[in-house]
Amino acid sequence: MDLLQVAHLKKYFATQKAVDDISFTISEGQIFGLLGPNGAGKTTLIRMITGIFYPDAGTITLDGKLFDPVSDIGKIGYMPEERGLYKKMKIGEQALYLAQLKGLKKKDAIESLKTWFEKLEMESWWNKKVEDLSKGMQQKLQFVITVLHQPRLIILDEPFSGLDPVNSTLIKDEIFNLARNGSTVIFSTHRMEQVEEICDHIILVNKGQKLLDGTVHGIKQAFKEHLYKITFAAAPPQDTAPDLFEVKQTTADTLVIQKHPDVNNNQVLAHFLNRGDAIESFNEILPSLNDIFIRKVEGTPLARRFQTLQD
Amino acid sequence: MNKITLIIQREYLSRVRKRTFIVTTLLFPLLYLGLIFGTSYLSENAGTKLKIAIVDSSGSFTQQRIDKANKDFPNSTLTLVKEDPATLSKHFDQKGFDGYLIIPAATMVSHSPDHLVVKSKRTLGTVSDVQTKLNAIWSDIKYEDLGIDTLKQHLLSQSQLKVKSENTANKTADAGLAYATGFACGMLIYFIVLLYGTQVMMGVMEEKTSRIAEIMVSSVKPFQLMVGKIIGIALVALTQFLLWIAFVFIIYNVTKAGIGSNNAVSGVIGGVQEIFSSINIPIILFLFAFYFLGGFFFYASIYAAIGSTVSEDVRESQSLSFPVTLIIVFGFFIMMVAAKDPGSPIAVWGSLIPFTSPLVMMARIPYGMPGTVPYWQLALSMGLLVASFLFVAWFAGKIYRTGILMYGKKPTWKEMVRWAMRK
Repeated sequence: MDLLQVAHLKKYFATQKAVDDISFTISEGQIFGLLGPNGAGKTTLIRMITGIFYPDAGTITLDGKLFDPVSDIGKIGYMPEERGLYKKMKIGEQALYLAQLKGLKKKDAIESLKTWFEKLEMESWWNKKVEDLSKGMQQKLQFVITVLHQPRLIILDEPFSGLDPVNSTLIKDEIFNLARNGSTVIFSTHRMEQVEEICDHIILVNKGQKLLDGTVHGIKQAFKEHLYKITFAAAPPQDTAPDLFEVKQTTADTLVIQKHPDVNNNQVLAHFLNRGDAIESFNEILPSLNDIFIRKVEGTPLARRFQTLQD
Repeated sequence: MNKITLIIQREYLSRVRKRTFIVTTLLFPLLYLGLIFGTSYLSENAGTKLKIAIVDSSGSFTQQRIDKANKDFPNSTLTLVKEDPATLSKHFDQKGFDGYLIIPAATMVSHSPDHLVVKSKRTLGTVSDVQTKLNAIWSDIKYEDLGIDTLKQHLLSQSQLKVKSENTANKTADAGLAYATGFACGMLIYFIVLLYGTQVMMGVMEEKTSRIAEIMVSSVKPFQLMVGKIIGIALVALTQFLLWIAFVFIIYNVTKAGIGSNNAVSGVIGGVQEIFSSINIPIILFLFAFYFLGGFFFYASIYAAIGSTVSEDVRESQSLSFPVTLIIVFGFFIMMVAAKDPGSPIAVWGSLIPFTSPLVMMARIPYGMPGTVPYWQLALSMGLLVASFLFVAWFAGKIYRTGILMYGKKPTWKEMVRWAMRK
């Protein structure tokens, strides 16, 4: 079932089209990657989904109903990229306050907080002030506050920036956990290796428009260049079969080949086997999301130019 | 609604529990106490008791009269000496006198000298104590000389003409009391608006600089956040003033029991009691609450909007809030004029225009209604204040909504107006 449907969403600012007709759907329990270079319109898009901005045009459907910022706020947990907390406030009180603003009852909020603090080894923090915490610790606290009210939709904007590998893994595991328990996660970033690791489905936006939409696997398949890497026990053979493939790269014991689109893998393997070469491995090289990202975004200016809109 | 309550609660508690709040709340009454005791102590003990030698050539200033005067006016000591002025002038200080005074032989009731001079080797400053004392003696001499007995003396001193003003439209208005009440009310509103209005601005800036604003507006509407903050801070202001009033009341009772009738304290409290018994308390209190809240909400909304447009730089906020502060100070000066002359055109206009009306109207009201302030003026002033508060809150809310998520460039006034106009 689709948890979130975004249809023809538009938001124009005075100097630019921040979001220009974007549509996508996210099904329940998915970890959804929202990718794009800086200034692509990701934050504006998220702010519309969280009810901070009203869209100029288009509809947002949450859980089968038209999104209503006032009543649906409790269903969403949002960790913005520009994050912060009241520095002088005690951590326990602060988390409680923010949870209550999300509509949680005080008693439930305390209970939920205790479980989370225990899980992330933060019990001793309750009476500390935010200004006493390191940046990474603040990040962890921020994550807890985001997911405390058990939101249906969790939106995380660059959740790992500033975290060390140990805490990154900790948070990553929690994200998987939440998704397994039925929460849907939107994950906005431009760190591609994390996306490949975590996300099921991604869209790529640039200059306010959607460039790509699909599963990580599907997109990689769509962008594959039929490249294969073959490792041999001995030095790779020098002669080629131009009717089957072209050799792109040769090293001491490997060959990178690009096979012709209508040739299947068995034909390639048969060619080497018939020659009596000892093959150790045969792998397809799929493009990384990073490559795809750069390929799609390249050529467009990195920073958005300010455009004047005619009203 | 529940969310606004939560916000009010946080804004209130986080400020009331702060050490600075406790310190200023406690320190103010202590300073107040110190001021009262300090000034009364200083006025009693700081001035030196002058010891003056009197050389009487007229024969009227007898030892008996001087002794009586020394008893009645103990702030200085006069001593009758029989020495020759020439020798006295050389070594009066060695005898322990601060100065000496020669009463000429020709001093008579029908022919009093222009000046008597206390001669001294140092600057004595005012010698009003000595003058009062000599005049007391001189009065006795005059009465005796003119044959006026004590009964007639009493008559003479009591019989005087007194002049005061009366408003024929409102006979209960007492100008002195009304002035004091109006001035005090205007002053209080001035302080509350200025002190706590800037607190609202700082609070909004804190939310922006600590980058919690986006988290907050993903849970509550920006307008709720703004209104909650303003109400929370208004309650802090109210708490502080109620505590101070309580302190003053306690101090008054303690000091009254402790040192009897200290002039300064009982003077102040006596005045307050007199005010309370002679003016229409319920109406004044109601209007004070109205103009206090109206004025505070009006200016706090403006300050909140300013705070939301500032990103990091405190100096930016100062330059933006300066014009607003200037208007409040301007209102304060009109208030001072209005407290003295509540019917003047500047007072009337000032009490109608919402920028100054909370201060100025409170200075006029104690003079009485409808004598000084016609009902239509009051109604117009209140109506305008409510209307403009609603408009300013709406306008500020729009700016706040956009400004609170903007970082970096400082917006121009033109841009802010455009934010407000956008739906």
